[in-house]
Order: sequence, then structure tokens, then C-alpha cells
Amino acid sequence: MVVKASQGLTRVREIYQDRPLRVRELRAEGKKVMGYLCIYPVLEMITALDLVPYRIFGDMRETITKADAYMPTVVCPFLRSCLDLGLKGKYDFLDGVVMAHICDVGAGLAGIWNMTVKTPYSHFIDTPHTIHETAQEQQKGLLKDFQKSLESFTGKELSPGRLKEAIEAHNQQRALVREFYDLKKLDPPLISGTETIQVMVALMSLPVEEGSELLREVINEVKERRDGPPQKAARLLVWGSIIHDTAIMEMIESLDANVVMDDTCVGSRAYFPDVKLTNDPLEGLAYHYLVELQCPRTFKESTHGGTKKDYMTDLETRFSYLGDYAKDWKVNGAILQSVRYCDGHGYEVPGVEDYLASIGLSSIYLEHDYTEGGLAPLRTRVQAFLEMIS
Amino acid sequence: MTQEDKKRPINRLQSMYALRAYVDKIYTAGLKAKKEGRPVAWCMAEGWAGPILEAMDVETVYPENYGTICAASGASTPFLERADAEGFPTHLCGYARNGLGYAALMRDLGGEIPPEAPAGGMPKPTLLLASGMACDARFKWFQAMGRYLDAPLWTLESPSPGAREALMDGAYERDVNFLVEELSNFVAFLERLLGKKMDWDRLDETREGTKEMNAVWYKVNQLRKARPGPMHSRDFWSSMSASMYLGATDPEVITGLYRNMYDEVKNRVDNKIAGINSEEKYRLTFIGLPPWHSLGFFDQLAERGWNFVTEAAYHPLKPFDIDLSKVSNPIERYVRSRYRGLAQSIYDLYKPEEAAEIIEEVKRDGSAHRVYYRGVKEFQIDGAFLHPLLTCRAATFALPLVQTLLMEVWKVPSLVIEGDIVDTTLFNPAEALKKAEAFEETMDHYKKVRKEEGLGW
Repeated sequence: MVVKASQGLTRVREIYQDRPLRVRELRAEGKKVMGYLCIYPVLEMITALDLVPYRIFGDMRETITKADAYMPTVVCPFLRSCLDLGLKGKYDFLDGVVMAHICDVGAGLAGIWNMTVKTPYSHFIDTPHTIHETAQEQQKGLLKDFQKSLESFTGKELSPGRLKEAIEAHNQQRALVREFYDLKKLDPPLISGTETIQVMVALMSLPVEEGSELLREVINEVKERRDGPPQKAARLLVWGSIIHDTAIMEMIESLDANVVMDDTCVGSRAYFPDVKLTNDPLEGLAYHYLVELQCPRTFKESTHGGTKKDYMTDLETRFSYLGDYAKDWKVNGAILQSVRYCDGHGYEVPGVEDYLASIGLSSIYLEHDYTEGGLAPLRTRVQAFLEMIS
Repeated sequence: MTQEDKKRPINRLQSMYALRAYVDKIYTAGLKAKKEGRPVAWCMAEGWAGPILEAMDVETVYPENYGTICAASGASTPFLERADAEGFPTHLCGYARNGLGYAALMRDLGGEIPPEAPAGGMPKPTLLLASGMACDARFKWFQAMGRYLDAPLWTLESPSPGAREALMDGAYERDVNFLVEELSNFVAFLERLLGKKMDWDRLDETREGTKEMNAVWYKVNQLRKARPGPMHSRDFWSSMSASMYLGATDPEVITGLYRNMYDEVKNRVDNKIAGINSEEKYRLTFIGLPPWHSLGFFDQLAERGWNFVTEAAYHPLKPFDIDLSKVSNPIERYVRSRYRGLAQSIYDLYKPEEAAEIIEEVKRDGSAHRVYYRGVKEFQIDGAFLHPLLTCRAATFALPLVQTLLMEVWKVPSLVIEGDIVDTTLFNPAEALKKAEAFEETMDHYKKVRKEEGLGW
């Protein structure tokens, strides 16, 4: 039996620094660990079969070497880094991987990982790009295939009852995350953007029940803390591609800014809406993991099949949730950021800028190369932006 | 061969010129349709919508192809610069940046065609047709164009399952149903937008016509296995657009033009006439999307005896027969005549016993290396020219893996030359030529290696 030595934010930092810490222990106890890339693989199906979902990240502090043999430099450096770590054996504790059609390179990575890293089990979910009824039906069919594949791998049946329990467990965690995020509505926020990243990464490194227990500890601890972030002039929303390393937040928060809200996939995107419990649980899951996740990889529009088009109405449909975030978290500026070569976010930038401008929120777009060193020149630009919005 | 052709490094097919000229029709037809008040759709090339739009009398214009025209005619710079100024990152697809810049300038001009637009330009569209097939740009670009164009946008989905997943029970039929639903919804949308009903008979006719057209085009390309290679890649690139973009409009005419090409290429095969006007020293395959702005670069390579005999992209599928007599739904007839599942594709290409082995290998390992670029063996390739594109992730991300597999499976070396489809500043022909010269020794070496390993060429 492993004795938990620490709790709350201390435990969060331990896990953040050594992510495989807990899953290696669980594996030694006989559990199987299922790696997943991005937020489109369905975690509930993994949990329901008593597998431990473990999110795959890269490492912006590790030089990419082995991945150069399989992926060129002109693709997403985060995905290259994920592959690099896989090739270096840093994910040798995974019993399987699940990937989805998140973007061109992400979809390609699934095949490349299969051929080169050769994790014993793998499955690829060809998530549709649109969200209308036909696509939802297709998504449900794809999840049925994923179910068959998982059942074959585990030798267990994925019953509707088990799936419902898993959905409830993950929804509980989603509710806790939203409660955690509410702590940042205060001024000053009770927790920083940097700490938020650490907490979210820790959650994505633990089985759902353990993660939820840890998050309850964190919430209770933070509510009582006297050493939270200081009040700063800028309350920022950070939008964009994956941030799983604290370096970007640290850079921003080293200035006169608190990051109080985010629209990123190691953040609100993964947790904000709950999965609806439907008679056939796959219906609710198919809907959630296609329609409700916010990411530019999915094509959303104001009216499907509409014969009239209005740009601002389209932007309102696609981005009004950002307006809600800005209002509820009292945001006075937005940083739009993306790793270089992220096409999905790249095409989105002018539209997001237009929407934010329409609600009176200033924004700046930063592109970075997923290295710690690459952030330094951006600091000056962020500083100038903060001076402008103050 | 004319005296002029003898001087040119690449021995251009006479039949190519008619096909290349045909593509200009896209733009004149688009302009004419606009003038006459007929609907014009800006489309991505995605393999499904052409015949449907044709059957609904919608003129189609392809901004993707327009990007190649702007690049080839040196006209892309103002469009690219405008896209940059609009805030679109410079790493985005060159075709998309060209198109976004064009659309922004068009908006400035109140919907009129920018004066600097080559080939008469693209008229303001009635409809935008995006696609979920092949790459993210195909729908993100068109979505972003909503900033400048108020035309309604439809995004057509297309499944792209993983290899192992494509072989799961029921996967193919589910994908067929998905496509049938998608296309049926698309037709319903067009009927609402245009206020007219689909002509199903015309769709069936077009379907049959394009099937025949692709079959002839496929046969032309199979002739290129001959030694010396009778048709250079430049002729392929100049000839492919007719079927890609106008195949639905004039399938009979284009089929006739491809038949002319077949006859000309067959004559070259019979008389051992090469696609280059030098001795064929090296047979190359081109992998990626070509540098449309700098195709003259291949003339310099031809002078050195480099014959590009095939390409990895844009080829038609091997024709297949399918009994559709019991399929009553015309959309389903259409889908089944074009969507070939992975298992069926493998059986199309290999003898039954080997096909069954390959399928088991894919189910077990997720891939089968022996199928990787089997064209390399069929076309007896000495070297692969890999062209990573700084603005196209979809065409580029797998190239290092391709390079590795070509060497592991076939002992064929690769030359990697970076560039772009549209942006001339990203391609350095002088440097590329130096690398190519050095690569000749590598190709010579691996010719010996392949012989020693009994690989046959």
C-alpha cells in the first residue's frame, strides 16, 4: 500500500514535477494505463473498463532529437515532442494509446506512433469535423467501434451501467473543476494561472476518483489561503493551443497580470460542460465529445445549412462563450496564443480578434515555438499590451 | 517532335496542351456564369461535389487551383501580403493565404474582381463549399473567408479512418451511410438555396462519364512504368487538373483528350521515346505538392537525365467494377461507385492470397510496410524527391517517415528539398540544384545496393 505523503497543492506540485509518479505505482499494482492525446478520446469509456486514462504531453524543455527521423520541423512542435518522448521510452509505462482526428498532424501522429513507438494497444477515433446530426450519428458509430476495441483489449464487457458510473465520476470532476475555476472570479483570484496549469496537469495524470479527491483538497486549501496571487491591474483570458507547461503563464504573470481564465485544452475546454446522462450513454458521450468541446478543429456555424450568412452572427455562435467568460471572470484583456504551425488555431485568430473587439475586449496574438527560450522575446510584447490595456 | 521541343529539356506531350488549356475554362466559365446571373460556387477539390453541382447547374471555381495559377504566373504576392496584413499566420496553407488575400481585396472593391487577378479572376461566389477531406485548411480556410464573403458555406464531411479501424466489422458500411447522408443533406441544401430540384438522371450520367474518364486517365499513368519513362511529371501536373476540376462538367470531352494522351504516350512506349530530351539516367518519383511557381526547375534536372516518371499525389484510383443494379438511391449509387474501403482497395491491388496476408498484418500491426509506395517498385524508381512544404502540414508531416520506409523497404534514397506551393520566397532553386547534383552519387550507390539485394532494378 502506498502512503500518500502530501496533500493539496503540495501533492499537485509533486505530480506536476513527476507526472508518471502515481501511474507507475498503479501499474505495479496491476492496473493498466491508457495514454490519450488531446481531449477528444472518450475518457469515460477508458475509466469504465478500469483502465487509468493518462494524458500524453510533450516536454518543451527537452530538445527534440529522435522524432526528427519521422516528423519534419515544420509541424506542430508539441506533437513532435510527444512523439520524441515516446521514441525515447518516456511513455513505456503505457499499455495502450488512444488518439483521435484532432488535426492533420495529430491524425498522422496516430499512425506514426503505431509504427514507431509501438505501444501494445492503440485505437484511432476518426472524429468528424462538423457537429450536425449526421456527424453525431457517425461519432456514435465510431465510439461503438472504440468500445469493441477496448472490450477486446481488456477481455471485459463495457456495460451501460459501468459507463454511466464512469460518466458520473467524470462529471463530478468537471463540477469540481468549475468550482475551482470560480475561485479565480475573485479579485485578486485565489489561485494563479500558473498554479491552475499544475492542478490541471495533475488531474490528467491520475485516475478520476483520485484526481477528484485531490481537487477537493486543493479547493479547500485555496479557500483558506492567505498567500494567493496579489491583485494586479490586468485580469487576462488566455485562449489558444495547448499549454501544459507553466512557462507561458509564469512569463505572463511575472508582469502586472493575473491569468484568471483560459480557453485551452488543459483547462476549461476539457471540463466545462458535463456529459448528459442519456438512456444510451454513448449518445451523451458522442454529443459531448463532438459538439460541446470547444476547439477550432471542429467546424461550428450559426445555422447548419442556412442560405443566408452573417459574419458577426457566425462569430457570436462560435465565440459567445468567450464573452461569458470575460464577463463572469471580469477579464480586461485577452492573450491569444498558439504554437507555431498550429493551423487550426491560426485560421481562427482574426475571427476571435474580431469577436473580442466587438465586445470591447483588447487582445494580442502571440505565436511561440514550444520552447522555454522562445518565450523571452514575447515578454516585451505582453508588457506593451498590458500597458495599453491599463 | 518539333524542332522547338528537341531543344527543351522536357519532351512535352502535344496532347497535354489541350488539357492544360482546358483548365482555363474554369475561370472563363465562372465569369460567364456570374455575368448571366447563374450560381457560382467556390469549392475545394474533394472528389464528391463536382457532379452534384454540375447536375444543379452550378458553375464551380476552385480557389485551390487558383492558388497554383497565381503562383505559376507570379501573381500571388499581393494576395499573400494582404493575407499577412489581415492577421493570418504566415505558416498557413499557401493556397489559403492566396485565397484569403484575394477575398479581402475583393471585399475592398465591393465584390469586384481585383485588377491584378490572373486568368480573369474568380467571380464573387453564390456559395462556398468546404470539405473535411484531406486537410484542415479545406474547411478552416473557407470558414475564415466568411470575414470577406457573405456567401453561405457548406462543409462536406469525408471519413478518414485509421488503417486498422477501417478494417473493423461494419466500418465500411457505416462510412458509406455517412457519405450518403452527408451528400443527401448537401443536395437538400442546394435545392433550398437555388430553388430547384436535383436532376438525378444527370447525376447518374455524370457519374458514369467521370468513371470512364478516370479509367482512361488511370491507364495513361500506368503506361509510365515503361523504360524510358514516356511522360514527365510536368505533363502530369499540367494534365491532371482537367479531371479534378472539370471532370463533372465535360467528362466526355476530357475523356477524349485523355484518350489522345493515351495514344501519344503508348506511341512513345512502343518507340522507346522518353519524357525528357536527354538520356534517362535516373527515374524519380515526386512526393508532395509541386512548387507551382518554379516548375522550370525540373527542366534543369531533366538536362541532367532526371526523368520524373510518377508522383505520389493526385492520381486516380484503380478502376473497379461494382454492381449497382440493386441500389435504388442515386446518392448511394454515387457513393458506392467512388468510395472504396481499405479491404477492397487491397484486394484491387494484390492477388487474393497476398491481399489476405496484408489485411491480417494491418489488423495485427496497424500497418503493412510492404504496401508502402509499391509504386516505387512498379515504376523502378531510383530516387524520391521529397518536397516538404512550409505551409502544408498535410502533405509534409509524413515525409520523414516516407524517407525512412522507402529506404528500409525498397532501398530507394530520398532527396529532401524544402519549399512551398505558392510562396516563392520559400524555395531556393540554386541551392536545390546543388543538392540534386550531390544526390546523384547516392542514387548510383543504391542502384548497386538494390541489385545486390535482388530487388530487381
